[in-house]
Amino acid sequence: MGSLRRKERQLIFYVSLLLMVGLGILKYLFPDLEVKMLSQGLIIMAVFLGLHMFLNILKYKCDLYLLPMMAALSGIGLVFLYRLEPAYAERQFWWIIVGAVSFIIAILTTKDYRKLGQFKYIYILVGLLALIVTVVFGTRVGGSTNWITIGQFRFQPAEVVKLFLVLFLASYLVDKKELLAKPKLEHLGPLLVMWGMSVLFLVSQKDLGTALLFFGTFLAMLYAATGKLTYITIGSLMFSGGAAVAYFLFGHVKVRFDIWLNPWADIDGKGYQIAQSLFAIGSGGIFGSGLGFGKSSIIPAVHTDFIFATVLEELGFIGGIGVISLYLLLIYRGFKIALRAKNDFGVMLATGLTCLLAIQTFIILGGVTKLIPLTGITLPFMSYGGSSLLANFILIGLLCSISHREEEEYEK
Amino acid sequence: MKNNIIRLIYIVLAPFIILSLYLGYLHLFQGSFLATHPKNPRVIELEKLVNRGKILDREGLILAESVDTNGLTIRRYPYGETFAHVVGYVSDKRIKTGLEASYNDVLLGLTKKPSLKNYLAKLQGKPNEGFNLVTTLDSELQVLGQQLLGGKRGAIVALRPQTNEVLALVSAPSFDPNQLKANWASLNADEAQKPLLNRATQGLYPPGSILKIMTGAGALEKDPELKEIFYCPGYIQVRNYKLNDTAVHGKIDFERAMAVSCNTTFATLGLSLGSEEFYNTALKVGFLKSLDFDLGVNKSFIPAASELPVEDLAQSAIGQGKILATPLHMALLASVIANNGKMIEPSLITQVQTNAREVIEEIKPKEGQQVFSEATVGRIRNAMVKVVTEGTGKNAQIKGVEVAGKTGTAENPHGDPHSWFVGFAPAQNPQIVVAILVENGGQGGKEAAVMAKAIIERALKD
Repeated sequence: MGSLRRKERQLIFYVSLLLMVGLGILKYLFPDLEVKMLSQGLIIMAVFLGLHMFLNILKYKCDLYLLPMMAALSGIGLVFLYRLEPAYAERQFWWIIVGAVSFIIAILTTKDYRKLGQFKYIYILVGLLALIVTVVFGTRVGGSTNWITIGQFRFQPAEVVKLFLVLFLASYLVDKKELLAKPKLEHLGPLLVMWGMSVLFLVSQKDLGTALLFFGTFLAMLYAATGKLTYITIGSLMFSGGAAVAYFLFGHVKVRFDIWLNPWADIDGKGYQIAQSLFAIGSGGIFGSGLGFGKSSIIPAVHTDFIFATVLEELGFIGGIGVISLYLLLIYRGFKIALRAKNDFGVMLATGLTCLLAIQTFIILGGVTKLIPLTGITLPFMSYGGSSLLANFILIGLLCSISHREEEEYEK
Repeated sequence: MKNNIIRLIYIVLAPFIILSLYLGYLHLFQGSFLATHPKNPRVIELEKLVNRGKILDREGLILAESVDTNGLTIRRYPYGETFAHVVGYVSDKRIKTGLEASYNDVLLGLTKKPSLKNYLAKLQGKPNEGFNLVTTLDSELQVLGQQLLGGKRGAIVALRPQTNEVLALVSAPSFDPNQLKANWASLNADEAQKPLLNRATQGLYPPGSILKIMTGAGALEKDPELKEIFYCPGYIQVRNYKLNDTAVHGKIDFERAMAVSCNTTFATLGLSLGSEEFYNTALKVGFLKSLDFDLGVNKSFIPAASELPVEDLAQSAIGQGKILATPLHMALLASVIANNGKMIEPSLITQVQTNAREVIEEIKPKEGQQVFSEATVGRIRNAMVKVVTEGTGKNAQIKGVEVAGKTGTAENPHGDPHSWFVGFAPAQNPQIVVAILVENGGQGGKEAAVMAKAIIERALKD
């Protein structure tokens, strides 16, 4: 087997060790957990090893660290899901497998990812269509109506739409970047319309987290393409203005903002989720109370948005910083791919995808720790969520594809 | 474009750095607040697993302890209703009061520093031991105070000057914290007696004449040479208001005025101070301020200077009108004189110990600020001595001891006036400061002064 990707194999081995130790501890502490948990853990590691072999067979030259980090984050997420909600953990197990398959499909269909740059208007149309579908057919889950239910199966189109958004922006900005250097309305126009509509749809669905994500990614990519700080400044001002309007117009926005400022005023009511999250974080201390010893299961949505609170309680400040570091490493590798790419579209696409991951991660980590107001959005790879897992596996797949293609350029 | 991306990397990275620093901040500065918060379910669970620490008086006598009876752990208060308000209670409705509440985290051992020894004990499954609180309280004085008040409504506060350690904090009527569950409903419903109320720290009463100590001090600070001879015809006309005196005192000086509690004199002094300075003097001695104390204390009240027209100012100068104070605060006022002009915040705890008597923490008495000059205080002290030797406080006289004091008879709209007495002894080298309040007790010189004598005598016996 290739010594080409040996480092990747080694890292996956360490991740497997981490996963099995975690599952082992859980089985010891909670004897009621089914033994198939352990076999599922082994299967997941085999799956990631399988992806590694797949890349090897293709003689892929993509970044060696993407796959192991993805495995580490998914694995840690899986361990915590078994700890919190074993039923969901099993579903997550299947979704990881689906994710792995989509990763393979993403790699195989983007042999030359540059071809993706030709479909910009299709992306935005599909994206908007998907969002419109949720407005019409959407069902309410938690605070937002941004879900589609088919039988027993719940899906969040926004998670996949975000990839379309980045594809659209990357292709559009690459074509028009010189023109955008001078902020002229005619060039900015279609952009603003496309973006504006998506944000509005999301806000109307009360999916504020995704709206913020779209907004942030848009600004980041605009800045990357034009280098004009004015865009970021104006954008931030617009955001603040919009947020202020939303505060006064929408009751639920006001609530979110108020409990961010002072959850203690309503500890048992609206502030309950954040207060309990903070209690979990504070009770963990520097070293954590130990895997399985925390009491974070009372936090609502602990298996989705608030999984990080459990990490902080049981693995402590140290564990929390560790997980943050994993995300930072992933983000760093993503930007490295962007910087190494020789093709402009590749640069933009890699930047956009990395920003997507970075901003989403920050939004939820910040919200759960009360650094910023809470918005409902998943923590990539760790939160329970099929659509999220799928979208993020595809995201990494695309990054891999770009990375491989661009490394090939260096060998020419 | 690559340059933009490099800059973008910094912009994207910055929030994560901030997040990490913020997490560090959370753990360092809010960690113990969050980990010991009463609404944190882990604390509630922990309580069931921990051997809650004891609360002890200054000699080590047990005021509160957890005992195992038939496998059930209950909290026992050996002194029953004597310490009910200050020690507080732990009810099984998760209500906590008094020191049981304010030092909950210490009693549960939550303030334990993480160490290898503690971790090993946790692994071995050893039950967590809470810490014991050693208070400044003197059981003998507290029991005496309780007996003195008997069935009356009121409060007794006794402090040791120089440190302002609280030797006794009595509130009556009281209740038996050992029988809380059985009596909960009736205790709460008793609107007339309000046994659950800690009158010493929460009760707000018009101070009456004992506030003349403050008025006098304020006047002396302004005019240290005060030699004025006042003329008291038995009343003073303040614009549209006639302020009556208890008697016609004729020509009197400052010390004599204090001794006989001449309203005319002190109203005059208050008026010459003016509302601004009177108000500021009150602030200096702690009115409107929250006290940093181990138990919650109600803030004593004085209206703003702009809301003190001369009529109200005259009344306030003699401790009537809208002025309200807690008995603890009035004890502090007396302690300022006892401590040569220094206001020292009171304290209830001296040490935190393990069950094996190992001292975990020594709590030093608080520093204090100079509020009045020594000259001012000297004159007030002399005046207060005269109160007891020849004035309204004769009932507080003790053979062979120079007692300084001030009586107060506070008019109030609810019935007989409240009876007040504050004082300290021996006057030149104080060992004890007391404040007594008896609701509707009539003249201060009667009820309160008599109780003060008993407390001071017992305190000086050691």
